Amino acid sequence: MNGLAQKLYYFRESPMLSVGLGMLLFLLLFSALGRLFIDADMAQPLSAMPRQAPSLEYPFGTDDSGRNLLAVMVVGVPLTLQVGFIAGGVGLGVGTLLGFLSGYLGGKLDVAVRGVVDTLLTVPGLVVLISIASTIREEISISIMALVVASLAWMWPTRTIRSQVLTMRERAYVQMAKLNGMNTMEIIWKELFPNLLPYLAANFAGAVSAAVLATIGLEALGLGPQNEPTVGMTLYWAITFSSLIRGMWWWWAIPILFIILLFVGLILIAAGLDELANPKQRKAV
Amino acid sequence: MRDTLLQIKGLEVQFETRRGVARAVNKVDLDLFAGERFGLVGESGSGKSTMILALLRMIKPPGRIVGGSALMQGDDLTQLDNEQVRQTRLARIAMVPQGAMNSLNPVMRIKDQLILTMREHGEQGDNAQLEARVLELMEMVGLKPHAAGLYPHELSGGMKQRVCIAQAISLQPQLILADEPTSALDVVVQRQIMQTLRDLQQRLDATVLLVGHDMGLMAQFAERIGIMYGGQLVEVGPVEQIFHEPKHPYTRLLISSIPSFATKGSFKGIPGVALSLLDPPSGCLFHPRCPQATQRCSITSPTLQEVAPGQDATCLLYEEEEHAPTA
Repeated sequence: MNGLAQKLYYFRESPMLSVGLGMLLFLLLFSALGRLFIDADMAQPLSAMPRQAPSLEYPFGTDDSGRNLLAVMVVGVPLTLQVGFIAGGVGLGVGTLLGFLSGYLGGKLDVAVRGVVDTLLTVPGLVVLISIASTIREEISISIMALVVASLAWMWPTRTIRSQVLTMRERAYVQMAKLNGMNTMEIIWKELFPNLLPYLAANFAGAVSAAVLATIGLEALGLGPQNEPTVGMTLYWAITFSSLIRGMWWWWAIPILFIILLFVGLILIAAGLDELANPKQRKAV
Repeated sequence: MRDTLLQIKGLEVQFETRRGVARAVNKVDLDLFAGERFGLVGESGSGKSTMILALLRMIKPPGRIVGGSALMQGDDLTQLDNEQVRQTRLARIAMVPQGAMNSLNPVMRIKDQLILTMREHGEQGDNAQLEARVLELMEMVGLKPHAAGLYPHELSGGMKQRVCIAQAISLQPQLILADEPTSALDVVVQRQIMQTLRDLQQRLDATVLLVGHDMGLMAQFAERIGIMYGGQLVEVGPVEQIFHEPKHPYTRLLISSIPSFATKGSFKGIPGVALSLLDPPSGCLFHPRCPQATQRCSITSPTLQEVAPGQDATCLLYEEEEHAPTA
């Protein structure tokens, strides 16, 4: 079996991966196509009649401040994904770097990294995030939001990658690479790193969904980018203006629906990739 | 007389464990000549693998080289700094590993692995040139050129071992260390691999230090043989002399325990168990198991001495009372 055929075979073997990717693709298409038909300014306040239930003119209705919720979703879903991807990527990147160095080099560096990671892991993440986010005085932008979330997204990757490196470090081919006079950095990036790529890919999907969760959590508490119509901020406004008891179901139900789609999609991708990266999870072929 | 390539003098490797100091390599003196095939035999734990790892400076804590020297072309291998060690490995001293099954990176094509190590040692040239070198190496070790483009899992055990040999000779080292290179293979493949190694050794005029415990393999391959017991070299000499006229009692017992078609009956092993390196006996390390041991053997440590032309042994049977150094 060659390249493409093999990749297609993976998708057939792993329905989770295909369904997950399908859901994510649907969300991206929704916002990409939506941009063609809907003016992004409609996501800002005072752009439509406020408090309208879903109708032909406003398919998702409008909120208290006159935002068109369809436009909000079209603009907000990619923003939320963007925060997730940046935060997940930064977290995994830092984790990979620290995990490889601490696992392979060991010694004092390893003791220090492990100490910091283990300590930070015991601190409830949301508390730290809330204190960081609430101390930022200036307006929170999408990238600052991502960095805030990333500040706590690197510990698990560090720990799991470190343990993977520990098992690889003693394998015969790594010993041989040393005996063949390869230097340490070359061994790490050229011998070990390629072996861990599938594992990192599976971890990336997991890191993104964890970052999206943290983002939405912060935003729902009002600690997100106030001027950006992200999915989480929409929830925050819906909570703040008591949409639930005022019977404006579309205001909270629609963002929740998108959040569910986003999460289930990401989790299915993570599980599907894990199945590919970890043959023990794979069903017998 | 051939030139000496490697001169090991008083090499000592110790492991400091919680239960005491283990002398894994105990003052070994050994000269290797340029272009010879030398076989180092000994039972498990006799220090033979530790010794070759010491030459490559791969002794990890709690182990360390505590004394002695290993001179190779004017450089003392035990004194090189890290960068010199890195440059020496593969380019001057290459290793053919024991478990070829796991010694290749599973996610890299064969040619990429070989090119990677060549580049690490500053080999110039574009990829096409180095690839041509790889194909040449494939041919030298008896592999088809297309094997270069395969991944390790697509090769058989014998083919992987050939790849490891190709890598070992890729920079034309003067010394090739082979640590039981065929122990994971069946006898037919074993013979082919040893034949390949022998051809290449002659073609490159390299010295091969073969480590193992298969006496038959040693007899076919080596020109000279060294026998280790408890971290000491107990006997060294030309292969015929070692097999026909072993001098050291341990070697004698070792040779007589090899099954043969000529003698029938039950096999004789060597009585007793291998010594504990943490608690070695006094005097000669072998005396508790030696059928010819005398009172003196438990007091005096023998030293390596010439006992026949070209043949040395570490045994008091061949030492005069007055020369004998005391422990």
